[in-house]
Amino acid sequence: MNGIGILIAIAIPILGGAFVPLLDFGSRRARESYVMAIVLAASVYTLSLLASGQGTSFVLYHLTSTIDITFRIDRYGSIFALLVSVLWPLASLYAFEYMSHLHKKNRFFGFYTMCFGITLGVAFAGNFITMYLFYELLTLVTVPLITHEGTREAKVAGVKYLVYSIAGATAAFIGMIAVLSHGGSLEFDVIGLGSAATPENRRLFDLAFLFMFFGFGVKSAVWPLHGWLPTAGVAPTPVTALLHAVAVVKSGVFAIGRVVYFTYDAGYLDGSFVQKVGLLFSAFTIIYGTVMAWKEMHFKKRLAYSTVSNLSYIVFAFLLVTPSGLEAGLLHMIFHGVMKIALFFVAGAVMHQSGRIYVTELRGFGKAMPVSIAVFTVASLALTGIPPLCGFLSKFAIAEAAVEESTPFAYFGIAALLISAIFTAAYLLTICIRAYFPPADFEPWSLKSVKEANWYMTLPLVLLAAAIILLGCFPGPLMRFIGGVVPAAFPGL
Amino acid sequence: MTNAVTLLTISDGLSIQFASDGLGRIFLCLDTVMWILAAIYASKYKEHMKKPKQFFVFFGLTYLMLAALSMAANYLTMYLCFEFMTLLSMPMVLNDGTMESIAAARKYLMYSIFGATLGLLGFFFSAYYGTSAVFVSGGVLDAAKTAGKEGTLLVTAFISIVGFGAKAGLFPLHAWLPTAHPVAPAPASAVLSGVITKAGVLCILRIVYQVYGAAFLSGTWVQTALIVLALITVFMGSMMAYGEDLLKKRLAYSTVSQVSYVLFGVFTMNPAAVLGALLHVVYHSIIKDCLFFGAGAVIFTNHKEYVSQLRGMGKKMPVTYGCFTICSLGLIGIPPFAGFLSKWYLATGSLSEGLPVLSWLGPAVLLLSALLTAGYLLPISIQGFFPGEGEKEAEGKEAPGRMLFSMLVLAAATVLLGIFAQPLSDVMQQIAGGLF
Repeated sequence: MNGIGILIAIAIPILGGAFVPLLDFGSRRARESYVMAIVLAASVYTLSLLASGQGTSFVLYHLTSTIDITFRIDRYGSIFALLVSVLWPLASLYAFEYMSHLHKKNRFFGFYTMCFGITLGVAFAGNFITMYLFYELLTLVTVPLITHEGTREAKVAGVKYLVYSIAGATAAFIGMIAVLSHGGSLEFDVIGLGSAATPENRRLFDLAFLFMFFGFGVKSAVWPLHGWLPTAGVAPTPVTALLHAVAVVKSGVFAIGRVVYFTYDAGYLDGSFVQKVGLLFSAFTIIYGTVMAWKEMHFKKRLAYSTVSNLSYIVFAFLLVTPSGLEAGLLHMIFHGVMKIALFFVAGAVMHQSGRIYVTELRGFGKAMPVSIAVFTVASLALTGIPPLCGFLSKFAIAEAAVEESTPFAYFGIAALLISAIFTAAYLLTICIRAYFPPADFEPWSLKSVKEANWYMTLPLVLLAAAIILLGCFPGPLMRFIGGVVPAAFPGL
Repeated sequence: MTNAVTLLTISDGLSIQFASDGLGRIFLCLDTVMWILAAIYASKYKEHMKKPKQFFVFFGLTYLMLAALSMAANYLTMYLCFEFMTLLSMPMVLNDGTMESIAAARKYLMYSIFGATLGLLGFFFSAYYGTSAVFVSGGVLDAAKTAGKEGTLLVTAFISIVGFGAKAGLFPLHAWLPTAHPVAPAPASAVLSGVITKAGVLCILRIVYQVYGAAFLSGTWVQTALIVLALITVFMGSMMAYGEDLLKKRLAYSTVSQVSYVLFGVFTMNPAAVLGALLHVVYHSIIKDCLFFGAGAVIFTNHKEYVSQLRGMGKKMPVTYGCFTICSLGLIGIPPFAGFLSKWYLATGSLSEGLPVLSWLGPAVLLLSALLTAGYLLPISIQGFFPGEGEKEAEGKEAPGRMLFSMLVLAAATVLLGIFAQPLSDVMQQIAGGLF
């Protein structure tokens, strides 16, 4: 396969999305057909690339003699691309219905679709510069989505997000320059710093690592840089669900993985000071996020804090810098995406159908919106980590990787995982209890006007619930696909 | 365990497997018999429930999970069944729909999930340091791998056992039990107290004898700490029961105390003590179910919940009170009723194990607790039959037939299993011996 295919996959949604505001759609159906066609085309094309184009690369142009814009399909990027290209069509379908009563749909779907292409750009970036470029673009394109409703609160959230993200990316950029100027390689097909790392400049590379870790740590919401994520919960649900549970935040996690395994490597990081810093911060974030989620009563913000916690599961696993840690982190990256998007979709469906936004207002919803609440329950159990649902599997994999590592920092992470599981049960299952078992004095007629959402919303929900169960019971093919990343990231093995 | 049936292989080292061994079969038999009797009882008691249909759905599903738990062949399967058993039994607690019962159900759920999550720690470590995917008597740890890591593994064993101890009402995770058991409808309280607490015991038996192994744990600080926790629970439960006026809550505290008799035997890691523990599992189930049925019968027919309201009630409900009295005597441990034999083995096993201090302190605490048991159960019967001079005649009538039937069967079992204990004890002896 010719490498230009990668460019096509990225270009379809970016160009297709850019045209949305320019076209004059006569009806809702016309816009939906157009957007869905673009998204499906990009999805199918990307999936076919993943199946047939592993290892191909494409140099767009040379910026300087050492810096170029390169795309490459490697296994690590493929996993991220797989996740987004499966979830994007589902989220778009959901968004059609959710946005039906909101204004400026052209603008929304334009940016929403462009995000798809840019996220694919992050996934397929062949070197640090390219990834950085798309990473920044992703920030810029998602700001209008956060501020979409135009309220003061939304604008504040948008600015906060912008400031956090740009500052983080700048820090990462500084780290990148430091690595480049001291002989490190920024190409992702060259693993590790190689001979560039000497005992004399170790301190510099450590510092550069911290810059990149905390820089990308903004999007992956590592404490204390997580603040933008719960605030951004004011965005329309398709944005919070897809971007703040999958595309944007996982770009941050993905970038950290790139730094850990491709720019640096296990030989450099294992047992180092910076590894300990990373493990400590991510384990602490796991606990912090989960406790904050438990205290939060706003439905979507609760889920946002839960995301803060779960993203750090992945970062923690990555920082174990072992093959099993890498695999476990990637597994949770996929599984968390599926579970969290389902939870957000339910929160959105409840908001859309009843206007209720606090978790305490959901008494008796089990009868009023049976499909949504059933899916919510499945996803809650999965996120809590009850087998045989998928969340258990990734949590088990992370814990096993930490047991194998058997250092105090790894054990601290296991403790954080268990604490988080308990709080997860507390902040999710209580919602299910309230929905299914209202107290005796509950008046069913008070929910008379609340109906289940239509198939635009329930179909994605049901598919996601099925995925949660099936991926948990039959993870074999996915785990083999993820396992393919190990030979690339650990050439010595 | 041999001949495990694999339902689903999730990935390497993770599979859902079932097998039937002696230990599992005891619990399965017990669950089944108790569930049938509770169902007969509930078929009448349902008139007193707010949502009978909901009750029976979850009653049945809970049984299914308990049965699966008894047959679980590895740690993962056990954990799975344990979690689902909690989730599916929780709605029985909030059947009334009062804020109190919903709060109790949430408390139950959170304590159980907290405990099970702690229990997961043992799975994480035994999966890595173990050699076998299924339970094996004597433990699954790989000596070559564990070398140098014993300290860590002991910590994980302790945390996991305390975690599963939540279900069995082991201090310090016992607090949910006296909250949740009394608010549930009587047949649910009966199975929660009599049977579901034993699910925690089963999990602990599996972890102690078939994951870590008695040889690995005995003589360590873990054993000492666990025995101390069990003895604290035995004493504390009895004391709390003694001071409690609400009848069902008194019985719930009694369960806290009595299940820790069982755990004391399990932690002693002596074949005779384990025999006593297994016998007490059966005896306590029978007795406690009958006592809760009795308490439920009083509530159902005469709407009385407090011990102090029950003066003279025995004359109005002679059959109920007769069964209640027999079971009380059994629980105290008076021969020839069931309950004597199990305590006998617990005490002799503990004394012969030769642990410093605890070997004799244990039986002493059990004895003290038996006195307290007499103190919190016998006055109910005495005041019931002999209200005393000058007390006015109590109002009330006997419980309906179906409820009496379940109680009579259990009271008869208390007598018969006490007198003709040999066959049961032989079976148990074999199983207990097989764990070492």
